[in-house]
Amino acid sequence: MDVCRVDPYGFERPEDFDYASYEAFFSRYLVVLTRRAIKWSKLLKGNNSIQKSLKVKRYIRKGIPNEHRALVWMIVSGAQTNMEQNPGYYHRLLEGEKNAKLLEAIKTDMNRTFPDNVKFRKTADPCLQHALYNVLVAYGHHNKAVGYCQGMNFIAGYLILITKNEEESFWLLDALIGRILPDYYSPAMLGLKTDQEVLGELVKMKVPAVAELMERHGVMWTLVVSRWFICLFIDILPVEGGKKAISNGALQAL
Amino acid sequence: MPFPSTGADDAFDYLFKIILIGDSNVGKTCVVHRFKTGQYNEKQQNTIGVDFTVRSMDIDGKKVKIQVWDTAGQERFRTITQSYYRSAHGAILAYDLTRRSTFESIPHWIHEIEKYGAANLVMMLIGNKSDSLDKRQVLFEDACTLAEKHGLLAVLETSAKEAQNIEEVFTLMAKELIARNTLQLHGENPPNSFSLDSRPVIASPSVEKTQCSC
Repeated sequence: MDVCRVDPYGFERPEDFDYASYEAFFSRYLVVLTRRAIKWSKLLKGNNSIQKSLKVKRYIRKGIPNEHRALVWMIVSGAQTNMEQNPGYYHRLLEGEKNAKLLEAIKTDMNRTFPDNVKFRKTADPCLQHALYNVLVAYGHHNKAVGYCQGMNFIAGYLILITKNEEESFWLLDALIGRILPDYYSPAMLGLKTDQEVLGELVKMKVPAVAELMERHGVMWTLVVSRWFICLFIDILPVEGGKKAISNGALQAL
Repeated sequence: MPFPSTGADDAFDYLFKIILIGDSNVGKTCVVHRFKTGQYNEKQQNTIGVDFTVRSMDIDGKKVKIQVWDTAGQERFRTITQSYYRSAHGAILAYDLTRRSTFESIPHWIHEIEKYGAANLVMMLIGNKSDSLDKRQVLFEDACTLAEKHGLLAVLETSAKEAQNIEEVFTLMAKELIARNTLQLHGENPPNSFSLDSRPVIASPSVEKTQCSC
């Protein structure tokens, strides 16, 4: 069996990971992935631009092939444009004056970001903690109203795993936090609270039995969904699901 | 599902909700994890929002169900965690005895509880990471002084890593809550029942001293 104990992103598989059914699933899924990859290559046709269309929307919802994911996220979210319009900005942020309190808060979470991922281990070479630290520090100084909010470490870490590029991760983070999810991570967390209320209302409408159960036990939605929403389902869904959640988010910006 | 079930095999004599608060990275989640599983998790992620754990304990022949609400330490998450204070019976305030600043935040956390929690909520202080005494930045005496000043039930120094005093924290909290519960039941009839808003009266100073001197 050639399925590794660590997945392609560096996450250790759980001890009870079912390798046999994973293999079986993947050999079937590979056919779908290949077909999808061919369609995407045609769509991109080497010109690296994407126009908004129902077709693109459908394609993204189904899943972006690994080899195109970083590029598509960059284009669709507007991160690419921002990066091109602000050359050197990311590096200037890193060289500029720093807020000691912010650095302290970020440092605290370095060893607590994906501890089950071998690429984020202190002993890894290269150790992605450095990239993570840089992206979060740059972002905290770029968006001072937000600074650093716990949860952003998982998002930034994830973007780094996908793009393998600090600067691109920074601009993607900005697209998500600055535009796609405004007020999720700012001190009052109003955007997050609003979305939790909206979810509660939607559940009431769509699955009243669940809403009733929650009410009977006096459980607030924040208990269940704070982590889901703040981490954009990263670490909640399997890696594949997290990517789709972000792709769909990026799609909103297109 | 982490919610209390009403099944017969799941019966209990008491159900207590305890909220665990304190600055980021003092080890709150590791304390809960040790309490729940008896293990220390070297690879603990930072908590986002609120997490929930439940464990039953046998205390003096009574089955006590303890719900622990483990919260994120970062200040901005208080806007989310505050809503859990109201229904809590007890609060465990945690600091890291190797980081002075986390101890200095304790009065802020007490203030939060006083503002958002029930009036008769029992508060307890724990200084975690007692396995790293060589890096100690907070004297136990200082913690005792603070606890006395604010009428807290007790102070304990704990180590989630080396399983020091973790059971004791929850046992002590549960015993106090049982005692108060009994008091409240008996105090129902007389007028001017003091049980609802009388933390200093019920919090026995003897308990405090026992714990502080250990």
